[in-house]
Amino acid sequence: MKGGHWWGLLPDLVRREIRNRLINTSSGWLWLIVSPLLLLGVYAFVFGYIFNARVPDNLDMPFIAWLAVGLWPWLAFSESLLKGSQSILNNASLISKVALPRELLVLSSQSAVFILHLFGYGVVLMTIQLTGTALTWQGLGYVTLLMVSLYLFAVGLGLILAAVQVFLRDLEQVLPTFLMFWFFMTPILYPPDLLPAAMADWMVINPMSLWMAEIRAGLFEAKWFPDLAFLPILMLSLLTLAAGRWLFDRLSPSFEDFL
Amino acid sequence: MSRLLLSLENIGKVYPRTVRPGQRFSGFWQVLRRGEFENGICVLDGIDFEVRAGESFGIIGANGAGKSTLLKIITGVLAPSHGAIKRQGTSAALLELGAGFDPEYTGLENLHMNAAFLGLGRSEVEEKLDDILAFADIGEAIHEPVKHYSSGMVVRLGFAVVAVVRPDLLITDEVLAVGDESFQKKCIRWIERYLADGGTLLMVSHSMYQVQKLCRQALWLDAGRARLQGDVFDVTQTYLAWHERRSARQVEGEAQRRTDSGSLYTVEDLQVNGAGPDQAETVLQLGDRLVVETRLRSPDGRSPVVSVGIVRVDGTPVYGLSNEQEEIALAVDNDGFFPARLVFDRLALLPGGYIVRAHALDPEGLRVHDTLEVPFTVRGRTREAGLVRLEHRWEQ
Repeated sequence: MKGGHWWGLLPDLVRREIRNRLINTSSGWLWLIVSPLLLLGVYAFVFGYIFNARVPDNLDMPFIAWLAVGLWPWLAFSESLLKGSQSILNNASLISKVALPRELLVLSSQSAVFILHLFGYGVVLMTIQLTGTALTWQGLGYVTLLMVSLYLFAVGLGLILAAVQVFLRDLEQVLPTFLMFWFFMTPILYPPDLLPAAMADWMVINPMSLWMAEIRAGLFEAKWFPDLAFLPILMLSLLTLAAGRWLFDRLSPSFEDFL
Repeated sequence: MSRLLLSLENIGKVYPRTVRPGQRFSGFWQVLRRGEFENGICVLDGIDFEVRAGESFGIIGANGAGKSTLLKIITGVLAPSHGAIKRQGTSAALLELGAGFDPEYTGLENLHMNAAFLGLGRSEVEEKLDDILAFADIGEAIHEPVKHYSSGMVVRLGFAVVAVVRPDLLITDEVLAVGDESFQKKCIRWIERYLADGGTLLMVSHSMYQVQKLCRQALWLDAGRARLQGDVFDVTQTYLAWHERRSARQVEGEAQRRTDSGSLYTVEDLQVNGAGPDQAETVLQLGDRLVVETRLRSPDGRSPVVSVGIVRVDGTPVYGLSNEQEEIALAVDNDGFFPARLVFDRLALLPGGYIVRAHALDPEGLRVHDTLEVPFTVRGRTREAGLVRLEHRWEQ
């Protein structure tokens, strides 16, 4: 069996994943636009009206705009971890019948999540711009780079989680709670300087805070070039990807035995 | 020699024990550290064979012998625990019902996906779409979700894709037994033509007729090991004989040697082509000479009657006779026994497992006093059905 033709299968598998998400919705493709707008509306109502939250002092914009710029990358990241971690178990019947490389299944489910959320991100950013908050679009290139690195980071973690989940099913119960905790530990709903000083030092070990800071710098402060702050991001995503690949290759020959 | 498409070297498979949660965790830890786990259940061991281009290879065996596991290893779905497997050229597997079909999607979408799994690009599929649809012959149902298909339709679609892809090596399971009669015939015809055009086949089947019809080589798996491999007729016939014997043993189990305590006339010895009850079994070719030699003992010096019967190993009677019917009297030899020698010059028994039974009767030929039996096997390259070859000729 040639290695090459399997990679040509990736677009088909991604398309299948995306269609799986849409196949039972009556609105179909329209849902792609409606769903992020609904979510944006909910957050705007809760934080802009009920909590009346405010942005960090130096920025002049509605809180919801500040929140949304950080929220969508997080959604893509966390949901891709959840989907990716289940991808091997969910495709058990396919795995036991077709000899395709198993990492394709993780990759396709995670890619589908990223594609859907990136599309939503685009819709949301445009909405923010249209409702009167000026985004610095010259930073878009850098943000794209950041999203690519976030994707690689997520794939690395996803490969690890998917492989481990085949053996240890408990992960399925623990992961959503852990991701929620991670969400609150990351400056997404609040600015980093809101944290108590003792916690702020610990922020360094939360890699997602790096992405949040850089993505906001790109879209609010027109940061358009990667500088030293990007180096740990790049290193981390590449190392995680390498580790994920190693672990997955190690465990995948035994998947069938433990499914 | 033609191109080697598949070679298995000392393949073995061990499944882990995963009943208790702790076993899953220790299995995980062992695989992570050493790439393998210990204390598993061995389901395949020491399987060696090769398949070259143009060959046809059948795998047979009782349920649970490891056939499906072996097929999964061959198709690459399952990694062997030890041994080496090499594959060359393209291969396509037709395993189980609708392997890789997604029930939510229409037949056409599944067809595209399936073709992609087999390495066919989108444009190639478009090119061959008409052929595939014509072969599957399921009409407008192609636009319906597969969950509404009958099992026969799923197999039709699966087979149609494979038929159009034309792999170097075709691997099939019991699937062909699913479709209706006419589709089965179509598949068999297609496979025969595929083989005639130089295709290579590896199949698992419980139908010895199908295996004999389509395969030249066969492997008999028994409890995860290769019991016999070689020419398809030798392997299937030995397998069938073994099977019949096994079920015969389960059914009766008592007819081994019935020597009632008061028996007077006994069968002291029985040999089939020189092999007695405790010796290695005689194997004959269809049409060979069969020699049955017996020695009877008589308590009172009167000449007993010997009756010889041939039964299939499952107990079906084939032929029986006695010396009394043919008015032949047994003569006493120097040791006081009554020997008899019965010769079948050209044995018409068809391949399979048989048993020769010799019965000792009193001189009046009224009561059976003792029975002794010896099994033997007939082999031959024939697909004739039944127990015996009847004299025949074709006239036109």
